[in-house]
Amino acid sequence: MAERLSRDLIALRVAAELRRGQVVNLGIGLPTLVANYVSRDRGITLHSENGVLGYGPHASDETQDPDLINARGEHTTLLPGGAVISHNDAFGIVRGGRLDVAVLGALQVSEKGGLANWLVPEKGLGSPGGALDMAAGAKRLIVITEHTNGGAPKILKECTYPLTVAHRVNLIVTDLAVMEVTPEGLVLKEIAPGWLVEAVRELTEATLIVSADLKEMDFGFPKEPPVEKVCSSAAEAVADVFDGAVILMDGFGGLGGMAHYLMLALRDQGAKELTVVGNTVGIARVSAFGAPPSPDLQAIDHSILVETGQIRRAIASFPVSPSPSRPSAFEGAYRRGEVEMELVPQGTLAERLRAGGYGVAAFYTPTGVGTVVAEGKEVREFNGREYLLERAIRGDFAFVRAHKADTLGNLVYRGTSRNFNAVMATAADITIAEVDEIVEPGELDPEAIITPGLFVKRIVQRPPGFSPFQPIVKE
Amino acid sequence: MKPGKVYPTALRAVEDVFDGAVVMLGGFGGPGLPQSLVKALIEQGARDLTFICNTCFEPKPDEHDVARLVDHGRVRKLITTFIGRPNQEMPALDLWRRGKIEIEMVPQGILAERMRAAATGLGGIFIPNGVGTVFEDGQEKRTFDGQEYILATPLKADFALIGAHQADPLGNLTYRLTQRNYNPTMAAAADVTIAEVRELVETGEIDPERVVTPGIYVDRLVVAERGI
Repeated sequence: MAERLSRDLIALRVAAELRRGQVVNLGIGLPTLVANYVSRDRGITLHSENGVLGYGPHASDETQDPDLINARGEHTTLLPGGAVISHNDAFGIVRGGRLDVAVLGALQVSEKGGLANWLVPEKGLGSPGGALDMAAGAKRLIVITEHTNGGAPKILKECTYPLTVAHRVNLIVTDLAVMEVTPEGLVLKEIAPGWLVEAVRELTEATLIVSADLKEMDFGFPKEPPVEKVCSSAAEAVADVFDGAVILMDGFGGLGGMAHYLMLALRDQGAKELTVVGNTVGIARVSAFGAPPSPDLQAIDHSILVETGQIRRAIASFPVSPSPSRPSAFEGAYRRGEVEMELVPQGTLAERLRAGGYGVAAFYTPTGVGTVVAEGKEVREFNGREYLLERAIRGDFAFVRAHKADTLGNLVYRGTSRNFNAVMATAADITIAEVDEIVEPGELDPEAIITPGLFVKRIVQRPPGFSPFQPIVKE
Repeated sequence: MKPGKVYPTALRAVEDVFDGAVVMLGGFGGPGLPQSLVKALIEQGARDLTFICNTCFEPKPDEHDVARLVDHGRVRKLITTFIGRPNQEMPALDLWRRGKIEIEMVPQGILAERMRAAATGLGGIFIPNGVGTVFEDGQEKRTFDGQEYILATPLKADFALIGAHQADPLGNLTYRLTQRNYNPTMAAAADVTIAEVRELVETGEIDPERVVTPGIYVDRLVVAERGI
């Protein structure tokens, strides 16, 4: 009988499944070995439960930093462009659908995609750790395991141990085979060198469907173009904004923290029927937030998109001008019945966006109970206090204003320009960052990064001399 | 004048931890683990404590962590995510089997988010973590947009013991690298937050953009008696 693959070769085969630009979490044990084949130039970000993004090889005695460990408690290193975040953010990333691949070990795995890896029932108590969260949250779940445990099959029809996740495993890679979980059943796609299908079947309890193009296991890595996030202009960055899109944008009303360059480009691009989500819908022009340096100038804000009729609807906490004698463009359009508006208290807006970014469907908040905000919403009592049920908000796009980005999309903000930008960056399918400066990976302090690059799809630099003001055109 | 936040010793800082208190303990592995505070709590003597923390392995001679408190018989209940791999035996597991200690296992993502819900004053949150596993047993479930979610409730504590890198006298904290872990979440989820730091600096010395835990969450500060 042919040899089974070594643990290193199984890990190499899993590494070949990973793709450039992906965010990947590796579990304890066999999955850890996969890290040895994720070289820096493959552009893969390794995610660790305790808040490390972009870790590298194990630390040597010389490079070891006592404050830098991975989820297995081992001393690790940070690659250039790595970031350190909290545990809470690390799991928000997973729940929010930003983890492309989780690679986990198994006690048992089923042909239906069930995985059991945290509890041996006879022991009575097991450690879920982060495994359940990774298994349920990752877009793709790869199980890496030895095909049998001391001769007993691990690839089963059904898991008998308590599940880590039901129906989520996509691919099983073992020392004998590569198998894909499909709606039709478990498909044997690749087989270890020298092994015959019948021999693998004998060691598998699950029913194996042999793929029409069954191959010998292939350890080659795909050739992939680099992931380029930097756009040459705002026009390029917003080119695919479609009619009817939901766009998160604002900052906090004023000049700091508003993506003016992207907003101008969106005006020129012309997408219509837009829903904008922001703290305001353009009050900089009519308030102290946007006081211009000279009377013939005015601030660029959402008004430029209202005037062109591109905004159909707004979800905002402060859509009305603080000055009754100086109504905003949006207010005017609202009074004329041209636009719709949903009012949301500021804290609720921030929390709804955070929920959207971090995979929380809905939450109960005390804000708004007994007010107009509560109309049509579920009210529920917890420990003698009433709360409203509020739903998550997500955008198709987020226009984010930051200070600096590295080419991987890691962002830092300056002063109060952080405001809604940091949370909006997490809550859109396509987050576009407008920054003052673009630097190389490694130039931003990993502890100072507020928005990790995995949230940012595109980066554009404000042109030199760009002004957030524009001349007032007299009609 | 309101007394300052800086305490002369760890023992003074944990003086009022009462029998039966619920205590969050920060740290993931060594980084961010407030060992002086744990050591002081052993000396202080509070019993029947409930500890909320990531792991409980076995007491190590060179480390003061929750396992040490379990070993001293001070812990009545553990709410934790990890007490060893499926094939590992840990002292807490043995104590649990003999009914000496209560253990509630929680997946990490649920633990972190439940504490965060307490920190931000939410009544409950609908999260997908644990759906289809034993962790949905007894929980309220609801479907949103075709996906099932569990109603998770906020998890708060009487005290949070956390470890950080620098503090100023107002309690503003920075963390070095993976010291951060659960600490900022726990700091905001307890009635009394006690931070052990490597270094105390003057107010204004910490870059405001680098503050991770704002001082409003921190009630007491001690400088670590040993390395953290």
